[in-house]
Amino acid sequence: MLKEFRQQYTSTNEQFVLTDKTGLVLESEQTLFHIKKGSSIFEFHLFFESLVPLLEGIADEETSFHCIHIEHDGQLYIVDILAVVKKAGLLLIIKNLTDHYNAYQNVTQTRNESVIKTELTVLKNLELQERERFKNRFIQNFSHELRNPLTSIMGITELLGDTKMSDNQQKMLDFLKESNTNLRLMLEDTLSIGMIDAGKLEIKQKLFGLQRLFELIQFTYNAKAKSKALNFDCSWDVKIPEFVEGDRLRLFQVVTNLLDNAIKYTEKGTVSFSVQLNQKRANTASIRFRVTDTGLGISKENQEVIFESFYRSDGSEKTKGTGLGLTITKRLLELMGSKIRLKSELDKGSEFYFDMVFKYPLLSSLETKSLHTDQESSITSNGKEQRKFKILLVDDDAYVQTTLFKMLLNTNRFKIDLAYDGAMVFQEVVSNNYDLILMDVNLPNLNGIQITKLIKDFPFNNIKNIPIIGITANAYQENIDQCLKAGMRKVLIKPFEKEELLQTLYKVLL
Amino acid sequence: MQSSKKVVVLGHFGVGKTSLIRRFVTDTFSDNYKVTIGVHITKKVVEIAVDSTISLILWDLEGTDDIQSIRQSYLLGTHGAVFVFDISRPSTFQHLNEDLQLVAEKMPEVPLMVVGNKSDLVEDAELKNLLQAQELTVDFLTSAKTGSAVNELFLKLATILSSDA
Repeated sequence: MLKEFRQQYTSTNEQFVLTDKTGLVLESEQTLFHIKKGSSIFEFHLFFESLVPLLEGIADEETSFHCIHIEHDGQLYIVDILAVVKKAGLLLIIKNLTDHYNAYQNVTQTRNESVIKTELTVLKNLELQERERFKNRFIQNFSHELRNPLTSIMGITELLGDTKMSDNQQKMLDFLKESNTNLRLMLEDTLSIGMIDAGKLEIKQKLFGLQRLFELIQFTYNAKAKSKALNFDCSWDVKIPEFVEGDRLRLFQVVTNLLDNAIKYTEKGTVSFSVQLNQKRANTASIRFRVTDTGLGISKENQEVIFESFYRSDGSEKTKGTGLGLTITKRLLELMGSKIRLKSELDKGSEFYFDMVFKYPLLSSLETKSLHTDQESSITSNGKEQRKFKILLVDDDAYVQTTLFKMLLNTNRFKIDLAYDGAMVFQEVVSNNYDLILMDVNLPNLNGIQITKLIKDFPFNNIKNIPIIGITANAYQENIDQCLKAGMRKVLIKPFEKEELLQTLYKVLL
Repeated sequence: MQSSKKVVVLGHFGVGKTSLIRRFVTDTFSDNYKVTIGVHITKKVVEIAVDSTISLILWDLEGTDDIQSIRQSYLLGTHGAVFVFDISRPSTFQHLNEDLQLVAEKMPEVPLMVVGNKSDLVEDAELKNLLQAQELTVDFLTSAKTGSAVNELFLKLATILSSDA
């Protein structure tokens, strides 16, 4: 009974074939494949050619072949084959395991696809991380390189202010100063894209002149638009409070990013900046800022991706800029509780707008202006400023050194010696009594941090106690921490304005 | 007389062994990845010189990340071998030299071609850097997708096998 069942359930899935030493079929079952007696097994399928070396094998030697794909009569079989060397030739036992192997194939397919997908995701992440590192390195280096020349430009602008000028020249100088400040602020912002990503950027709430900001924008962008033969319309609602509390720097950056973009991608027509009062309640005002252009416009699909880093609206490499502008804009507005919105039509132009709520003080503008304190003037009322302080200024950049020297000298409160490396510093501190050292960090041979540490290790109190203020173009917190740890009292980040320099000096000296 | 030579094509899974063979034999390509289990066997007659042809019996082996685990019976009577890795996936070549050592132990005296496939996915300069950084020596950089260097690879192997005959 069992024998019958065995024949019934196994015979259709197995086939025995016997060949002679030359591969000619001596006998064959016909359960799976039609293999004719007297035919060559090598001609039945390519697989069997690989058995030739076995024909010379030792009797009863067995070789197993698993998962062999054999197509026969238009049907695919996946079989295991056991080849046994016999006296007559080869005994081949072929087992049909197609269903089993198909199930295995499905499992393997899922497993392999999953492994490959994971691997590619990891690689993609690594690539993105590398790109992010490159971006941050680039921003760091770029901003670092700009700081020295910008310090000189800002310093010389300040010095120009001390010379005799016509009203027109004075007006131009005022705008030059503001542009310097904005350039510096932009530099800081570019650097802070990494901080935005890390969630470390702080939005400040300080009183500032909103209408004054609009005037600056109007002046600046009139000139920019004119240089591209574009019209620039700038208008603001007179009901908007003159002074508001908010982050002037971030607002300015958002608006100028949008305007720069509008001018960049507009070849003819008009770029507009308009500001409307949505509503005033108690001491808050909701204000809508709108930047429109008659430029290239943005397709629907690109409107989704335009706020991603390094995206360029025209897809070209020719357009100038970092490609970070709209990303910063979007992220800054989110930080300020607002949201950038966009309406655009290809070849017709774009409109970017956002609403922002500001607190505004219930003071007259005159009272507000009087809130500004001037450290220099308050110091004037202090008797100590009459004394001249002896300062050692250490910087190897001749332009920066000259600018700082003139800035300090013009106040008539400092006697200044100059040094440009560690050896000179040690020579000077031993033979002079300084009230303060103004020390650049990036110096040849010994850097400012190393020199500071050595000074702090001096056995003489009059030397080791000289307060040191660091000057650095490296704005990262870890670098500032290194300076402070070495013994510097304060660190000034290049570029800085005269007022900031003097305030820092007085804080340490007085 | 036309001789026939068994060539095994091996390497990690997903490196494009089946696609390389398909491109060579039928000059087609599919983006759909279908895992090979066990072995698929195909043949192509290659003309290596005027009036001189050789028949390559190509054994497309199931990919594995452990070369040691390849069944010895598959390698029986092998005349030539092609080891394929995927240049866009470091896991398939990060132990290349050890893998090749294992292959050589399993098939001593068998001519072996080392192939970096999917060259269409990596820029030329990046590819050079990659090979230098990993200290990899490859015989061919191929793309089954574009067909780049595929025929050259098998023709070279066929020529070597023909001269060995």
